[in-house]
Amino acid sequence: MRTITYAKALNEALDESLQADEDVIIYGCDVGRWGGIFKITGGLQTKYGADRVFDSPISENVLVGAGVGAAVMGLRPVVELQFADFLITAGDEVFFKAGMWRFMHGGAFKVPMVLRLPSGETGAGPEHSACPEAYVMHSPGLLCCVPSTPADAKSLLKQAIQSDNPVMFFEHRRLYQQRGEIDDDAPLIPFGKAAIRREGRHVTIVAWQMMLNRALKAAETLAEEGIEVEIIDPRTLAPFDFDTILTSVKKTGACLVVEEGYRRLGVGAEIGARLFEEALPYLDRPFRRLAIPDVPISSIPALVNRIIPTVDQIVATVREMAA
Amino acid sequence: MRNDVLADIFRKSLLTRVFEDRFVKLAMEGVVPPLLHPGAGQEVAQIAAIAALKDDDPVLYAHRGTGYMIARGVSMRAMLADCAGRAGGTNNGKGGIMHVVDTSKGIFGESGTLGGGLVISVGMGMAVKKKKTGQVVVHFFGDGGSNRGTFHESLNWAAVQKLPCVYICENNGWAVSVPVSESTAVENIADRAHGYGIPGVIVDGADPAAVMDAVRTAAERARSGQGPTLIEIKAIRLRGHYATDPQDYRADAAEVAKNDPLETLRARVISMGLMTEAEVETLLTECEAEVQQAVEEMQASPPLSPEAAFEDVMV
Repeated sequence: MRTITYAKALNEALDESLQADEDVIIYGCDVGRWGGIFKITGGLQTKYGADRVFDSPISENVLVGAGVGAAVMGLRPVVELQFADFLITAGDEVFFKAGMWRFMHGGAFKVPMVLRLPSGETGAGPEHSACPEAYVMHSPGLLCCVPSTPADAKSLLKQAIQSDNPVMFFEHRRLYQQRGEIDDDAPLIPFGKAAIRREGRHVTIVAWQMMLNRALKAAETLAEEGIEVEIIDPRTLAPFDFDTILTSVKKTGACLVVEEGYRRLGVGAEIGARLFEEALPYLDRPFRRLAIPDVPISSIPALVNRIIPTVDQIVATVREMAA
Repeated sequence: MRNDVLADIFRKSLLTRVFEDRFVKLAMEGVVPPLLHPGAGQEVAQIAAIAALKDDDPVLYAHRGTGYMIARGVSMRAMLADCAGRAGGTNNGKGGIMHVVDTSKGIFGESGTLGGGLVISVGMGMAVKKKKTGQVVVHFFGDGGSNRGTFHESLNWAAVQKLPCVYICENNGWAVSVPVSESTAVENIADRAHGYGIPGVIVDGADPAAVMDAVRTAAERARSGQGPTLIEIKAIRLRGHYATDPQDYRADAAEVAKNDPLETLRARVISMGLMTEAEVETLLTECEAEVQQAVEEMQASPPLSPEAAFEDVMV
């Protein structure tokens, strides 16, 4: 076991994928010479050459669309959009081309591409701060990763690059410098397998990335009060491991989703709806959500912190649920 | 231009016209949805352009017409099956006539959002360049599609990377009901090539030799690593936007019909002595029989299972 940062884990996943498969290419704004604005692709152009790791113009539509075209012709492109928000800028290419090109041509193609999407609040304003994974979870034809630890980040990114399907890969910027243990001999994590980050019997919390960190912190405070929460990290939102949540809810009878996306029709709304459909007999308290209220995310920390779910809010909500 | 090539372009253009006219009839009868955007008036140029390429050069086609597919020998029965919801189509009923695909013949499909294929072509060009396959990626689109932002992003980045791509804009003067003069600031789409530092070439869509020359030159340039070319084919649209479009917004239809490139080519083939009037009539009968057989075979195919709705989403 060794300890590395989430950023380093992503860089290693890219490095090892380039090493293993000549068909892997990486491109995006600033990813070449500069190593990416968040330095995830650092050193890769020097090591593998500018024909495999290269810079692009600021042209999100063609960045994603060319990824689909290159994938159709047998490459495995890994494309970086600098901010996950730009998923919407390239909406035609993400949702119609990556998500549907194979389907609308009757399965004639495989689309093995990965779109790397650094997400989360950075104080850079409403168009550079969102966690828009619910859009992907809502849309057919796309896989969706939301890794929370360095080990998961590396494993899921390698798995995403090896996948024959298009993968939207959300990396949380606030986690880039977070360190964690990694086992280099561990097999790759399969898509659609949640992790239980903490076991407990009173309330089930579903959270990922920065909200997972906050949920884990809240759990410590709650444990001191005798409230034992079970925390589930879905790791991938498409496919989604509902069974692990269902098993937990059968035990706890209560579920809270904490997410950094917008509340209305967010990931939590989907989980709540499924619990209502499939787990009503096991829920003895109302399902709850903590999410960003439905306003844009501003650029001033005081305003941002007002709307992103906090440790204190998680503690308070679970106390109400456990009462 | 070789006489046998010209005769082949005529034969395939005639077959395309007969096929599409029959398709429109089938749409009127309710056998297929009226989603074909007839290519009448543009098929000669489409087929001449394909004739200038190698058989394995990947083609992304425009939404108007089936000349590209007929040129490459895609099954008419399969195309009809795609539209009629029958088994044995090229896209398993998922995309109808808009997304006909046959990679074994280099037909790589079409974007439903117009101009949406331009971005795909860039990645295909990147792939064939990296894999050094020697192929040229050819993308057809209309004057309407050229007004998407994807046109700018794609031609710019293809030019920067000197990709082996050929961009062919069939300018028929109309984007659905809007004339190009009201939608487009430049007189010639090809003028935009200056903005990307690539050649911009204008050819007459009624002159198959000129189309072939332009496409051959562009393909050679692309194959030799010098990058993309933008070719503008000055075309005419003889039919409506879609199969049953009454075109009541249009005053030029009768005038345009006098300049049908297929009629021009027919007269030329006869005047050059490549075929007699009687032989052209025989060819027409043969095309009608071939289309009739495709229709019958399509109608003999079983309907797709509704469960096909769940197939082909992912690997």
